[in-house]
Amino acid sequence: MSDPFYDAGCCMNRRHFFSKLSLGIGGAALAFLMGCAQTSDQLAAGSAFRGILNSPHIAPKARRIIYLFQSGGPSQLELFDYKPTLQQRRGQDLPESIRMGQRLTDMTAYQNSLPLAPSLNSFAQHGNSGAWISDLLPYTSKIADELCIVRSMYTEAINHDPAITFFQTGSQQPGRPSMGAWLSYGLGSSNEDLPTFCVLLSRGLQRPQPIYSRLWGNGFLAALHQGVQFRAGGDPVLYLNNPPGLNTGDRRSMLKHLARLNEMHYDVTGDPEIQSRIAQYEMAYRMQTSVPDVTDLSDEPEATFELYGEAARTPGTYAANCLLARRLAERDVRFIQLYHMGWDQHSNLPSDIALQCKDTDQPSAALVTDLKQRGLLDDTLVIWGGEFGRTNYSQGTLTETNYGRDHHPRCFTIWMAGGGIKPGLTYGATDDLGYNITQNPVHVHDFQATILYLLGIEHERLTFRHQGRRYRLTDVHGHVVQDLLT
Amino acid sequence: MQRLIVTSATYRQQSEATPKLLELDPDNKLLARGPRLRLSAEMVRDQALAVSGLLDRTLGGPAVKPYQPGGLWQEKAGIRYEQGSGPDLYRRTLYTFFKRTSPPPSLITFDMPTRAQCVMRRQRTATPMQALVLLNDPQYVEASRHIAARMLGKETLEDQIAFGFRLLTGRSPDPSETKALQTLYTEQLEEFSKDPAAARQLLETGESQLQAGLDPVEWAAHTMVANALLSFDEVIEKY
Repeated sequence: MSDPFYDAGCCMNRRHFFSKLSLGIGGAALAFLMGCAQTSDQLAAGSAFRGILNSPHIAPKARRIIYLFQSGGPSQLELFDYKPTLQQRRGQDLPESIRMGQRLTDMTAYQNSLPLAPSLNSFAQHGNSGAWISDLLPYTSKIADELCIVRSMYTEAINHDPAITFFQTGSQQPGRPSMGAWLSYGLGSSNEDLPTFCVLLSRGLQRPQPIYSRLWGNGFLAALHQGVQFRAGGDPVLYLNNPPGLNTGDRRSMLKHLARLNEMHYDVTGDPEIQSRIAQYEMAYRMQTSVPDVTDLSDEPEATFELYGEAARTPGTYAANCLLARRLAERDVRFIQLYHMGWDQHSNLPSDIALQCKDTDQPSAALVTDLKQRGLLDDTLVIWGGEFGRTNYSQGTLTETNYGRDHHPRCFTIWMAGGGIKPGLTYGATDDLGYNITQNPVHVHDFQATILYLLGIEHERLTFRHQGRRYRLTDVHGHVVQDLLT
Repeated sequence: MQRLIVTSATYRQQSEATPKLLELDPDNKLLARGPRLRLSAEMVRDQALAVSGLLDRTLGGPAVKPYQPGGLWQEKAGIRYEQGSGPDLYRRTLYTFFKRTSPPPSLITFDMPTRAQCVMRRQRTATPMQALVLLNDPQYVEASRHIAARMLGKETLEDQIAFGFRLLTGRSPDPSETKALQTLYTEQLEEFSKDPAAARQLLETGESQLQAGLDPVEWAAHTMVANALLSFDEVIEKY
């Protein structure tokens, strides 16, 4: 498929032009009223649009991203960060020498004691790389050699909303564009028939933390760069279906004459924005076919459902969304963002996290396996991870069989696979009690800088001027973590 | 200052431009022509309500909950969106209830800011999602039906189309525009005559009552003409 970012020889677009002008507020107001600050990114040719970057800053290693966001904060101590020492210290209070004044959430700040809680799960080393993975993730264990497991992630936020917003937009305060929107803005579209930035939601069994549509919002960028949510049910994309009584032929006829009308208008005004609008209506019409085509799983063989699990047959499940992610990747969608809610185990952690893993382990691993089989893993980056980790002490009473864990920003684990990421690597380390990072810390902004780098972007050079200064995904921070790259 | 700008001769110029002018000054920095802007999200909706005669002009009062696809609040936060009825569906967009964690999709698609931060200048884009809203959102399908009913108040097809066109653009159509819309009407009429039940279904979109005494097939065909006009560049752009 044509991908303008990878095709050389792109011309400067209007926003690029305007970004070079410095307008005062009065000037901007005048420009606004006079209509000379139009910022549509569309160029007249075709409905695939170009990004702001004419060519990559560096050779891209990945063409697309599938981000399996595990919303709620999965416990690293139950899944990837094996801490035998915690067993010996079970029930002892978290020492202040370890806590070092770390602020806690109100949910445990006033607790009488902070009893250290070892995981009830058993860990083993897997693959040639010998990665430590718990028995909650039997399928993920089998693909250990594909994974780059980062045990030394840390963040600045301690509650869900700011923490997810930070991960996705680079700021804890709402209002910035999300990562997918930045990529759409920077790289343009890679696809004539589907949105560049697609979003899929699913939830675990318990009543999860909410999620917010601004997480896939365009912030101060154009609405063109908004993530488009795919939904289970009748209208896989909002307003996709024709109204009742209107068939495809009627719609085609109507759009044909509408295009004719707009073309006549273009002949008079000569404004290229009109051609852009015509192209958008063409794409809307194509989406009416291409979206049902990508969401209709009836052409998938039995083997697919053996790989992803039976749940993949039920629209709206995490398994179905992982399968859909692969289908979108096959059609060259640039950024595929999944959110799976339900990882917020403040209480009943042992039983609830097992349910979460049952829903997510097989499909996540299946996706990596499937992409590899299809030769797509080389240029698709898969990311698995939540917004923060969980405490090494119990929230609520620690018993033989039960405990909970509070939010913990100081260390947690994510994994990545594919597109330019070193496979079979476990990176970074935490202390024996699993509270602080002791080796190779990776900040959220470092993670973001690394993701952009893999797509050919130097994070300091993808900017947008807003409220008097240039903004970027990593704001004024972030370093590419070269150790993780092939 | 706004008044000074909008009453100036410069602002009131036509936005049409010769190819030479477009080439010399593509971004209108020299202000040799008038502004050409896509209407804001609120204006796009209010305009459709106004021209269809559906607009409820009541001032003030609590926010209202117009049409919104089902399940949007539910899937994010487990809360139900209790859609309004009657006049609540047709109030000015200013009064639309705004939940910041799940803002009205048909509005943010048209670059309405999500109210997370102050925005000095709105973006104005053209996207396929906007096309889908204008084509398929019940709000606009219903408005199209009411515009069509107004068009049917005229005797001849030519007058009906001229009326609808003028209603939406503020000018009379030229012969080629009339012809394009007549062909559209004829094609739709032919299709709906084969399936009057489908015509009926289309007309039943939205909660407002169907006016009596109109032929459903003609009405449905004109609904599609009106729907096309609502998407016409000249209608959602200011010239």
